[in-house]
Amino acid sequence: MPIEVIMPKVDMDMAKGKIVTWHVSEGDTVTKGEPLFDIETDKAAMEVEAADSGILHHAVPEGTDVPIGKPVAWLYAEGEEVGDPPAGLAPAEPDAPAVKDDPAPRADAPRPGATRREPDAGEKQRATPRARALARDGGVDIDAIAGTGPRGRVQAGDVAALLDRGPAQLGAATFRAETGPLSVTRSKGGTGTPVVMIHGFASDATSWAPLEAHLKHRPVIRIDLPGHGKSPKLKVASFAALLQEVRRTFDDLNLDQAHLIGHSLGGALALGIADTRARGIASLTLIAPAGLGPDIDGAALSGICRASRAESLGPWLRRLVADEDIITDSYVRLAMAGRSDPNLRAAQSAMADTLFPDGVQAVDLRAALDRLTPPARIIWGKRDAIIPWRHALRAPGRVALHLFDGIGHMPQIECAEEVGVLLRSQI
Amino acid sequence: MNAQTRTEMRELSYAEAIREAMDIALASDDRVILMGEDIGVYGGAFQVTGDLVEKYGTDRVMDTPISELGGAGVAVGAALTGLKPIFEFQFSDFAALAMEQIVNQAAKVRYMLGGSVSVPLVMRFPAGSGTGAAAQHSQSIEAWLGHVPGLKVVQPSTPEDVKGMLLAALEDPDPVMIFEHKILYKMKGHVPEGHYTTPIGKAAIRRAGKDLTIVATSLMVHKALAAAETLGPEGIDVEVIDLRTIRPMDRETVLASVRKTGRLICVYEGVKTLGVGAEISAMVAESDAFDFLDAPIVRLGGAECPIPYNPELEKAVVPQVPDILDAARNLAEGRI
Repeated sequence: MPIEVIMPKVDMDMAKGKIVTWHVSEGDTVTKGEPLFDIETDKAAMEVEAADSGILHHAVPEGTDVPIGKPVAWLYAEGEEVGDPPAGLAPAEPDAPAVKDDPAPRADAPRPGATRREPDAGEKQRATPRARALARDGGVDIDAIAGTGPRGRVQAGDVAALLDRGPAQLGAATFRAETGPLSVTRSKGGTGTPVVMIHGFASDATSWAPLEAHLKHRPVIRIDLPGHGKSPKLKVASFAALLQEVRRTFDDLNLDQAHLIGHSLGGALALGIADTRARGIASLTLIAPAGLGPDIDGAALSGICRASRAESLGPWLRRLVADEDIITDSYVRLAMAGRSDPNLRAAQSAMADTLFPDGVQAVDLRAALDRLTPPARIIWGKRDAIIPWRHALRAPGRVALHLFDGIGHMPQIECAEEVGVLLRSQI
Repeated sequence: MNAQTRTEMRELSYAEAIREAMDIALASDDRVILMGEDIGVYGGAFQVTGDLVEKYGTDRVMDTPISELGGAGVAVGAALTGLKPIFEFQFSDFAALAMEQIVNQAAKVRYMLGGSVSVPLVMRFPAGSGTGAAAQHSQSIEAWLGHVPGLKVVQPSTPEDVKGMLLAALEDPDPVMIFEHKILYKMKGHVPEGHYTTPIGKAAIRRAGKDLTIVATSLMVHKALAAAETLGPEGIDVEVIDLRTIRPMDRETVLASVRKTGRLICVYEGVKTLGVGAEISAMVAESDAFDFLDAPIVRLGGAECPIPYNPELEKAVVPQVPDILDAARNLAEGRI
């Protein structure tokens, strides 16, 4: 029997979703867990992974609206005869309005990417109280754990096994994914071409404050990355998916021109945006950007994600800067307060695992840097312990390099004054 | 062997331990009297009072007529007016005849008279099945009385405890109901000499373990311990709690154990439904220990029928060691 692939319910109010892109072509094989298709709802867009393996057939055309729970394709086994589409396939109505005779969304609509299950699909996850308590304390989403007890019940041992596997796997497997647009905040005042800022991994929009003090003449717009600051904890399948999300947010700002500033991971994203939106970029500033080489301090990334107390966060934060004294205990406590939500930490762990698997920068944007057309500069501290500043030397001649002695991974904070004055003269 | 060691090694049967407790009480406190049917010359239905009548005379070891209601009424009155009666039922089943005196008088009179009186009464109930005495002589009715505020209800499971709890009951200003399993009467065990008390309302951990908790009462404690010995080599480390008192129940000992093991089996001989195990289960479910449960709670109690006369059926209607083994294995191995 072929396996039904259905339109998943990815948010509470969703009645239908539009198939935007198929990642697998008709007749091709897909493996469980691989991206299968992208959907778009009124509120969000997301990639749906294959819940099973098989050969894809009878996929509804891209652009079709499909009510949740209805099939969008079928997965056949190797050698299985492919006949007419099985009954129940949604009609092919590209961009059609909602299917009229569709019943209201079922309360027990399946989870994203699930193949249709028996009617108990909407039941709460079976889990013992002890397992729930362990999961709660460990910041693990109980719904994402496969239970080994009777009827699939999650027991304490299942959670403990997951916790034992370490934070990266933990986060990747188990944070509670959310949907919705990224958080955008704006400064008051300023005129002319706005400055759009994209913060780095495990940071958030508020980290720009020291630099912003020097850029008050321009409107400043800050984007919080998924799973950071006030943004929803989206499931991020790849750097490309993250870039797509941030670029959509940037596009939604609807700016004719913008000065784009990105730090670290935000630098890689800013470069990615500039690569495809070159005409809209008045200038590009990359501060200790990711994406220009494989090296990165994976231990610091996972250490920051893992830290659940100021005592464990502090040492890693101090590695971000050259002069450790600027990371005071009260600063660490404040930073930890912003990271108190275990689900946020789990989401960031998952993201770190996706973007920096095994402590390596998986994305290579050097080609994008080479073909960059807007005016661009790279700012780096020569005592950066997270990403080697020498990655900057990859830049083509038309990109300005500003390398600061005695500064670590956070020039915008460690020498905000100098960086600010520098930017002020050009932005 | 010095005198000290000899004292520690001294063993008495459960019945002898009760008799020794009553002997100590009769000797040390003039207010203590024994009452009950055939407890004098006959020595009691289960020979617990033995020859105490010869030592203390019929004024203090008093045979009562064959009327549980009448005898219990006299005992309540004696307690209200300054004596400390120990009233023996021949079978706990006959408490049904005396319920008016136990439930409506002994338990309530302190409340109804604004605390101006108390009823320092001890009642002893030979209880439980296993003797082939059938439906009207084999019940475990402790939960009936456990449901009554104003009473204390204990189920000592060892000779040492029954002596200590009887002496503790005599020091208690309010009525204490002691349920003595008939199968235990011949059980021997270490019993300290002289006067001592075992606290009412305090459970005992008979065997420490980490994998699952069995809370048992009375004879079931011994069945649970036997099961635990079998389960140990199988890698299932059982903690056995002897509840000892069902009213007031020792909440903290039970909850602490469940927090540790995450799994709970309640084993009791009374009818399963609305029984002692229901109370233990609810107590855990209502507490913070709920968060530590890693499997459903299991109750092993008496079947939903009167105790049959046929010996095989009699065994089948109350929990036995194999039942406990099954439940423990199922729990520990994640089948339930």
